[in-house]
Amino acid sequence: MIEVQNVTKSYGAFDAVKDISFSVKQGEILGFLGPNGAGKTTTMKMITCYMPPTSGSITVDGLDVVNDSMAVRRKIGYLPESTPLYEEMGVMDYLNFIADVRKVSADKRKQALSRVIEVCGLQKVTHKDIHELSKGFRQRVGFAQAIIHDPEILVLDEPTTGLDPNQIIEIRNLIRELGEMKTVIFSTHIMQEVQATSDRVLIIDQGQIAAQGTAEELKASIAGQQHIDLVLRAAEKAAFIKVMESFEHVQLEAVDVQKSGDLAVGLNVDAGVDIREKLFDLALEQKWKILESSPSAFSLEDVFRKLTK
Amino acid sequence: MSEILAIYKKEMKTYFNSPIAFIVISTFLVITNWLFFDYGDYPFFAINIADIRGIFDYGAIVLLFIAPAVSMRLISEEKHQDTLELLVTMPITDMHIIVGKYLSTLVVFAIILAGTLIAPLTISFVGDLDAGIVLSSYIGFFLLGATYLAIGLAASAFTRNQIVAYIMGIVVIAVFFLMNGMANGSGLIATLFENLSIRFHYQNFFRGVLDSRDLLYFVSLIFVSLFISSTALASRKFR
Repeated sequence: MIEVQNVTKSYGAFDAVKDISFSVKQGEILGFLGPNGAGKTTTMKMITCYMPPTSGSITVDGLDVVNDSMAVRRKIGYLPESTPLYEEMGVMDYLNFIADVRKVSADKRKQALSRVIEVCGLQKVTHKDIHELSKGFRQRVGFAQAIIHDPEILVLDEPTTGLDPNQIIEIRNLIRELGEMKTVIFSTHIMQEVQATSDRVLIIDQGQIAAQGTAEELKASIAGQQHIDLVLRAAEKAAFIKVMESFEHVQLEAVDVQKSGDLAVGLNVDAGVDIREKLFDLALEQKWKILESSPSAFSLEDVFRKLTK
Repeated sequence: MSEILAIYKKEMKTYFNSPIAFIVISTFLVITNWLFFDYGDYPFFAINIADIRGIFDYGAIVLLFIAPAVSMRLISEEKHQDTLELLVTMPITDMHIIVGKYLSTLVVFAIILAGTLIAPLTISFVGDLDAGIVLSSYIGFFLLGATYLAIGLAASAFTRNQIVAYIMGIVVIAVFFLMNGMANGSGLIATLFENLSIRFHYQNFFRGVLDSRDLLYFVSLIFVSLFISSTALASRKFR
């Protein structure tokens, strides 16, 4: 449905997106994961015809985003990161305006409006002005705007940013619901979100694709490795790091001094190595007191951290 | 065409659902009529001549401050609210957006124009007005306002701050308005400045003459301004 081929976008000397290629199949929900400034928004802006790629090509349903821009735009519903709404307009005025611009014909207008009001749960706010709405409702009006012309493709840029936990769940459900009929690309920097909603994940970092696949595939790609979280008392940070440097098969991921003065440590251990005894001996030798030790399997979060460090 | 109409409708709603249009229109009419009927050493009733040229002389100056206030929000506010990002990904061209917005300002200006009819209507009861001159004056005044608004729209397309758009609009219009005063004599530069000046072309309409050069001047200034506005929107593509 969407083909991105060797796309680069440069702002002067800076490459926001560097030679990325990926495709999205019809009916798929693709989660775009990456730290802030990774190039997620830039990529979405090129797909939605906001700006053309510096090089490479993007086609949507076989149509080129530069040469068939208008046809592509008709197929896409877009919710930018900033949730663009006209503050001074009423909710219905706003939706009617978008329907006008989208050329939703008069005979389908009523039906389209009542559909988006129902899907996005806007019944209670139809008589209000947009500046009166809470953040959650603003986001839903943004959604309503994106689906009013019943597009085949939805592009949602960080649709859950700034919402409270309940609203986040609602929006995720909405994405899943819409994703049953439509092709959806959405971006986020929250791990659980992609895990919860998307069929496939694309991790993007510094303008490049760091990994792609289903959540399970990505987790499997670093399987075998183990992760241990430790809390130590009576250990000094600098000395601890020095000692651990000579410890084989172990990479320090994080060392934090807690409020109590204890040391919270995250360790990555090479596959197939059991360090438990050695670690115990070392602690004894150094007079560290191990308060907590919890091994864990890798989560998607770890994949993300590993890839985007 | 329906794309332009959609944008136009939205702008009209914004003008008339808020006090903007009302404030702008009434401010213009109050100040201009006051200047014309009551200001200076020779107010209208003192000179005792049935001539409404004063309306258009004063009007041109007052409009210099009023027209950019009408147009200042058109693009800058879209940028400020980040709605422009959505608008330019809609299945409409940048020119549709610009023309739709421009048309709405012309309608606001048409209401201003209708408001100034008070003067010629009342005066026609007490004296003899030359209908031809009144008509050509109104055509000139409409073109003048339309040009101001197009320049103001272009200024609005370069900033996300309405105040900046307003002042930029005034400055650019003032430069074009006064250009004929910037070079003296009869040299090439002076002729060029004169011919580029709004004031120079505007004056001709009060003699009851519709010169195609004057018409062409205003129409080209409008087209160039709209083109610049549209290019400013498209600049996102070349960054």
